Amino acid sequence: MKSPATIGSSGGGAFGEAALRCEGVTKAFQGVHAVNGAGFDVPRGQVTALIGPNGAGKTTLVNILSGFMTCDRGREFIGATEVTNWPSHRIARMGLMRTFQLSRELGGLTVLENLLVAAKDQAGEVLWNIFLRPGMVRRQERDNIERALDLLETYGLYRLRDARASELSGGQKKLLEISRAVMAQPNILLLDEPMAGVNPALIDRIGGYILDLKRDGVTVLMVEHNLNVVERICDHVIVLAEGRTLAEGRLSGLRENEQVVKAYLGEVIDAGTVR
Amino acid sequence: MNGTWYYVFTLVFFLFDYFILAMGLNIQYGETGILNFAYIGFVAIGAYVTGVMSLPNSAGTGQYYILGLSLPFPVNLLVGGLTASAFAVVVALIALRRLRTDYLAMVLISLSLVLYDVCNNYVPLFNGADGLYNVPEPFAGVLHLNTNSFIPFFAGVTGVIALLMWWVMSRVTRSPAGRTFRAIRDDDVVAAALGKDVFRQQLKSMIIGSFYAGIGGGLIMQFSGSFNPTAWLPGETFVVFAVILVGGVGNNIGLLVGALVVETLLVHLPAFLPAIPGHPGLIEYMDAAVIGILLMAMLWFRPQGLVSERVHKAASMGARERLNTGATLTLDEEAAALAHATGKPEA
Repeated sequence: MKSPATIGSSGGGAFGEAALRCEGVTKAFQGVHAVNGAGFDVPRGQVTALIGPNGAGKTTLVNILSGFMTCDRGREFIGATEVTNWPSHRIARMGLMRTFQLSRELGGLTVLENLLVAAKDQAGEVLWNIFLRPGMVRRQERDNIERALDLLETYGLYRLRDARASELSGGQKKLLEISRAVMAQPNILLLDEPMAGVNPALIDRIGGYILDLKRDGVTVLMVEHNLNVVERICDHVIVLAEGRTLAEGRLSGLRENEQVVKAYLGEVIDAGTVR
Repeated sequence: MNGTWYYVFTLVFFLFDYFILAMGLNIQYGETGILNFAYIGFVAIGAYVTGVMSLPNSAGTGQYYILGLSLPFPVNLLVGGLTASAFAVVVALIALRRLRTDYLAMVLISLSLVLYDVCNNYVPLFNGADGLYNVPEPFAGVLHLNTNSFIPFFAGVTGVIALLMWWVMSRVTRSPAGRTFRAIRDDDVVAAALGKDVFRQQLKSMIIGSFYAGIGGGLIMQFSGSFNPTAWLPGETFVVFAVILVGGVGNNIGLLVGALVVETLLVHLPAFLPAIPGHPGLIEYMDAAVIGILLMAMLWFRPQGLVSERVHKAASMGARERLNTGATLTLDEEAAALAHATGKPEA
């Protein structure tokens, strides 16, 4: 598995411009390479899955791409802008929003407030505006509240709008986390295992939401283990193994790839289940 | 004016003053989650700077201090508050950029000790251990106030300032800026993922809170006319923490309640009680113990404080109730779905 084999397209060429691209990303923790030269294009406007065996470096890569870790080597681009090792808030402002593997809610805030925090470019975050331009702050806040309530309706959380986020169930927290990221109007959404620990009914719903986002033009990159989900909603699959891009392409094509089967799919098929 | 009124207005002054101090610490700790264990240091800076702005040049006063600009009352106080804010910027650049929570708290408490030692020992700065005294009473000359009438007058002035600062603070905490502060308090990683510059926001909160600390300190200086290191032992920070924890973190009204219970009733009222015969000073010493026990009891039995944090409901933000609200997955439905799933796993 030394040389990364590539199936189908070698980059974004076949899919048009890449929304997100990384090249030769490397990250070592005390000499152990968690990510070791991973590079790929995430095609714009599509749903891409990042799969790979445990320890392949998926979450580390997500953390690097979203600015929560710096990489030792390599480059990252959002569209045409190089954003290598930018801090997370600047990457977020470039339109890349992420969710976390274990939902992280703002527990002391209500569900509605969780969404409102995410709204972009809030005039009311600038202290002068609160006192000198209160009308503008109020108008913008009212628009944000309406949009947040729309989203809460869509995601089935409207009735919980006034509940503290810490009081939600696990599934509700997942929905809150996704809707909060959507509130920020992302161009690129990075979902770290959105289906982990979620019951089948909710998996279908979240899958539907992801396809809706795609329809609205959002580029989605999701770390996912559930191959049924990948097959159903993902257009493109990137296989990561030992910190490198092992292969890319459609899932059906990857199933034929010996290296991929050996590194990842085989593991799953042997186990006789895909969760 | 008889003695009782003198006591009452002294208590009123400290109630308002600690309300201001509590608001300052609350925006830092209660709203933004910064454990500022150096808070009393910012209070002291405000007090000293207000003092040296108000005092005349030190030559011939028998005291040693910097500046001595003879500035009139609200100006010297403002300079005191702004200096505390400026100091907050320095502290934030050193400590806040890299450190979080407990490590930050340790650095800040060390900083508080260093500041204390410098002020206590370096005489040319603020007259060392003797501190500043004979600081002119504001408006005393203009309004012909004597020592007795000054106290109720200045308690009133402090009340007006506290009211104004409360109005400003509630505007801030209820605004999107306040919400972003609370988001950082709850989870700074999420806040960063949502595009918030956490350091910048914390810096803002430090600047506002320290301004409140400086003003509160400056008012103490003006009220008592003197201020020295015994007034701001580093442990005093925890009295302000007790005020906000007892009253209720994140709630401005709670802070007033906390200031009343802790500062007025527990710290200052006992000083006016007659001494227990044969045990001089016992009441004052018991004070600290009582506050400590109260603090522990509160954290154990009512961690949200006497007045809990306001829940910002949609209706209070002006949102209309909607009908046809889509399906919400309730806990029961989720459990049912899960039971269904475990009975017949998806293949």
